[in-house]
Amino acid sequence: MSQKLSVVGKRIIQPDAAAKATGNAIYVSDITIPGMLIGKVLRSPYPHARIKRIDKSKAENLSGVEAIITPEDTAQWQKFDRGLKDLPMIAGGYTVPADEGVLNERARHFGDAIAALAAINEHIAEEALELIEVEYEELPFAIDPEEAMKPGAPQISDFAGRNIGKHMPYAFPEGDADKALGGADCVVEGTFTTTKQEHCTAETAAAVARIDISGRLIVWSQCQLPHLARREIAHIFNMPVHKVKMITPFIGGSFGQRGSLCAEPICIALALKTGKPVKLVYSREENFIALESRTGFKCNLKIGFNKDGTLTAIQVYMLGRLGGYMGCGPMASAIGMIFGLGHYRCPNRAGEADMVMTNTPVSGAFRGFGNPAIMWGIEQLVDEAAERLNIDPLTIRLKNIKRAGETANMGLRLESTYLEECIKQGAEAIGWREKWGKKKEGAIRRGVGLATMTHCSGAAPLYLDHSNAFIKLNEDGTADLVVHPAPVGQHIWGALSQIAAEELGIHAGDINIVTGDTDVTLFEYGSDASRSTYVIGNATLMAARNAKEQILARAAEMLDISPEELKISDRKISSRVDPKKSISVAEVCYDAIYNFKGECLNISGKCSWESKWNSPPTGAFFAEVEVNTETGKVTVRRLVTAMDCGKAINPMAVEGQLEGGMQQGIGYGLTEDYVINKDTGVVETDNYDSYKMPGILDMPETKVIIIDEPDPKGPFGAKGVGEPGMVGVAPAIANAIYDAIGVRIRDLPITPEKVLDALGSG
Amino acid sequence: MARLLRPFEYRGPQTVGEAVRMLSEYDAQARVLAGGTDLIVSMKKRQISPRYIVYIKDIPDLNYVHYSQETGLTIGALATHRSIADSSIIKDRYNLLATACNKVGTPQVRNMGTIGGNICKAGPSQDTPPVLLVLDARLKLVSLGGERVVPIDTFFLAPFKTVLQQGELLTEIQIPNPPPVSAGCYKWATKTVAVDETLVGVAVLMSVDSADGVCTDIKIALGSVAPTPMRARQAEEVLRGKRIDDRLIGQAAQVAAGETRPRSRADFRRRMSRHLVSEAIAETWKMIR
Amino acid sequence: MKEIATFMVNEKHYELAIEPHMLLVEVLRDELGLTGTKHSCGIGSCGACTVLIDGRPVLSCLTLALTVRGKDITTIEGLAQGTTLHPIQKAFVEHGAIQCGYCTPGMILSAKALLDKNLNPTDKEVKHALSGNLCRCTGYVKIIDAVLAAAEAMSKEAHP
Repeated sequence: MSQKLSVVGKRIIQPDAAAKATGNAIYVSDITIPGMLIGKVLRSPYPHARIKRIDKSKAENLSGVEAIITPEDTAQWQKFDRGLKDLPMIAGGYTVPADEGVLNERARHFGDAIAALAAINEHIAEEALELIEVEYEELPFAIDPEEAMKPGAPQISDFAGRNIGKHMPYAFPEGDADKALGGADCVVEGTFTTTKQEHCTAETAAAVARIDISGRLIVWSQCQLPHLARREIAHIFNMPVHKVKMITPFIGGSFGQRGSLCAEPICIALALKTGKPVKLVYSREENFIALESRTGFKCNLKIGFNKDGTLTAIQVYMLGRLGGYMGCGPMASAIGMIFGLGHYRCPNRAGEADMVMTNTPVSGAFRGFGNPAIMWGIEQLVDEAAERLNIDPLTIRLKNIKRAGETANMGLRLESTYLEECIKQGAEAIGWREKWGKKKEGAIRRGVGLATMTHCSGAAPLYLDHSNAFIKLNEDGTADLVVHPAPVGQHIWGALSQIAAEELGIHAGDINIVTGDTDVTLFEYGSDASRSTYVIGNATLMAARNAKEQILARAAEMLDISPEELKISDRKISSRVDPKKSISVAEVCYDAIYNFKGECLNISGKCSWESKWNSPPTGAFFAEVEVNTETGKVTVRRLVTAMDCGKAINPMAVEGQLEGGMQQGIGYGLTEDYVINKDTGVVETDNYDSYKMPGILDMPETKVIIIDEPDPKGPFGAKGVGEPGMVGVAPAIANAIYDAIGVRIRDLPITPEKVLDALGSG
Repeated sequence: MARLLRPFEYRGPQTVGEAVRMLSEYDAQARVLAGGTDLIVSMKKRQISPRYIVYIKDIPDLNYVHYSQETGLTIGALATHRSIADSSIIKDRYNLLATACNKVGTPQVRNMGTIGGNICKAGPSQDTPPVLLVLDARLKLVSLGGERVVPIDTFFLAPFKTVLQQGELLTEIQIPNPPPVSAGCYKWATKTVAVDETLVGVAVLMSVDSADGVCTDIKIALGSVAPTPMRARQAEEVLRGKRIDDRLIGQAAQVAAGETRPRSRADFRRRMSRHLVSEAIAETWKMIR
Repeated sequence: MKEIATFMVNEKHYELAIEPHMLLVEVLRDELGLTGTKHSCGIGSCGACTVLIDGRPVLSCLTLALTVRGKDITTIEGLAQGTTLHPIQKAFVEHGAIQCGYCTPGMILSAKALLDKNLNPTDKEVKHALSGNLCRCTGYVKIIDAVLAAAEAMSKEAHP
């Protein structure tokens, strides 16, 4: 595919950037509607408790309080699955039981919602909240999955015997891993643990809901999956879908957290109860304890190799902590195993997971979705095997990575992969040959390490991967593109503009994105699974192609030549044979509408697209670290990410995704630890004074290498790149630490104490 | 979980006299508000809910940095961390204090927070107290009954507890001239990330006899390793009157670590104390040699 | 009880009756409709609520509104002239330094405080000036690029 591109591949400025730079962009938290009330939620201080009595009389008597709702009030509505998604295609048709009410009579975790109220302002709402009296009956609770699975442990959900929310087999097993491990020349194994990581979205969860006079519900929502949220909200509140309108304003960060319902259900309940608009904005503490964050795992891994370094078998058991409701958590293991076990060529693969309910805040989707957890172990073990077999870490990976044409991680043909180039170029950039494996001396030692990974471009073939795009050409040759990705900051509006403009031969700035309103947009799965550019992009490309055919046909008629002879670029249609024969896109579009022949044609193209493809991006991560053996401090000096994400529609946006992934990866690896007190079940890290994500001074020198080779299936060759950026960072750091000081850390995050312990000098 | 403040009564005294009268009248129901970077957070977390807020930042003449050869350095309690860190006389003659003030919080917090607040909070991990300990700072406390000046090493009683009485206001920090041939520094490690609460803070001030290179005096103070900021007096003894070398530095650091009384992350804090004391002495020695 | 406070916001004079427990971030967002100032962590750790008071970055979520009497406040809305962006805003836009955009106003104001004093900052000075502003999207890489580029542009403007 050696297409000459004039819009795709350019570092264009994002259509929404100026609004965000000036304070002009409106986020959900910024919305005010006349008569709007402010909502507030009362949360359980206990990890497991039955609500015996709620006395709301004092709060109700406070002037300015309009409504207080308790579980009794919300029983009229349907229970739901906050995660919105299930995976009908795997694990024998996996669905998540509807297990959660808008409010619940039994608090299942610290921070579970007990009651909610709406008042005329936030001050009164906060005061009233403190006046609600609740009598709790504290119940026995389980914090760790191991405890929760023991006989006699408190039953957390009716759907989960022994509290196992879901036993999840690996979706693409192959061969006989047990047998192959028995016969392997070299078996490496270990238990690797990972922590719950909070998304730390800059904007906390927020929603605004309003019921209009006709009974229509209008919700301003941050949800990444507005159409799925619309379906679920209609179901919860016993409404037909057309009575629900979801509006997606700017979203102040998501990273998967807004892939589930967050503030919406309680906000809507308050609006229904009062008949008035209600805004509900979570505090930072609520964002930590009431929403889903990354699943903490314990992974037992075993990998077998032949003497020559050929990988022969891989086996995993993952034990995951789900929290008080199932949410998206079970899928983290399913997806993690699919990506982790499907990364290398390996004839014998087996895996299973137990996803266990516990009395802790819920776990769910977070950039990488299980992949960072499993690769944390796999990539360390591959290094261990390399050492035992006396092969260097680059060579053992180059030997085992999949090549184009093989079967990819999700059972589809691997259309393209440039992981070899990623490894080679990344190694060059970090200075691998000069730095790796050298003898280290002194108190402060440097080391380099790498990790590789693969991910996905969309949800196919595991889940529905539907997108719709509609594009209409205006009379001046500009276009309105109707799509509904969630603008969480990933520069998707710009990317879709580039795709549409490239195909139509116009400029990216000629495209107006019409979006954010389920009344107007066609069904869209949403922004999830690194799919927006790849799947919505393909839908956009085909809608534009459809419109382009009409433009060319009309131009051919106007110029009186055959459409096959025409090309379109820089807003102009011209003959390949006789360049003098040309007409502007604007003239054609104008003529279609203002033709005064009884034919008003608004040239438009549409594509309803179910992606059956999935082109996994692949990448290599290199870290150079400095370890102080006296203090245990690990400082990341350099990070290099080399990514094969197909053709970069906008390299600047791709770099942004990967650079952001580095920050989250360093946090996952070194600084972020979600601490739940084992004796009380209380979350001890509920704001940035206790939970530490990397700041600007914690970032090392970074380098992003984009391989920029087109994939045959992606729009102009693009693949997904939203999630991969953080997946390999932590294991690359761990491998670099090993190179520096010869010890392995298997438990996240890597703290100075753990380093000192491993060195035997703690 | 609250994002906003509960109501309170606001008082904005214009003089120190007015302020201490209010503080004395409202007694335990009042809190002094200056920069707000600590108090407002505690109020949002509902850890305290004072009935009266006495905002002292509008009092003129409490925000200054003065120096004279005779009296040494005087700093108004309302001087912000930023203004202290940027003061040329402090950078020049009391560099360790500038360093500590630059460590506090974030740029925004340093613009808002005052040195008086940093001292009076008396949390174990505040950054300025160890430095003020080695600099022999004295604190001027004003009340309705008059004023008293207390040496900083008698000021701290327990975590978040000082000798400051209800109705008493810290107005000035007095710091004598450092000894003639002396140098000092402040070193710290944070709990996790670069901008973070101090895990261990170490201040060192050393003087030497320029003729024979002997350490004539040294003061070592640590923060965040005991209920209050502390001097490592036994470690000082190891060095006082001696010619400094690596072995001696190591020995002093070891002794200092043994003097600490950390609670959480105790082993690690002790190890970091040893490391930072050793680093601080070595660096100071290098400056002065 | 409400008290009268007068102050300047973005070069406009305001006289407002304010409850003593109202935070500056509330007054800016709810009373004046300046929602570019963001309420995020609430405890002064993230810098999303940063505004400039007399040119210095401070946290509006930890500032009582009454205490800004007589002061000169700059919010993100005060930077652009109509639709002409301030050079720092322009650099953030052009360098892809904005993703979700929620930390952006605070970042830009911290950068402005730096560049108003120092048009030739080092990489390290930029990082220190922005060390009170957390971003979860960008890894800070393009933010640093943007501030350095803005410094260059402003410096050229000042000394053509």
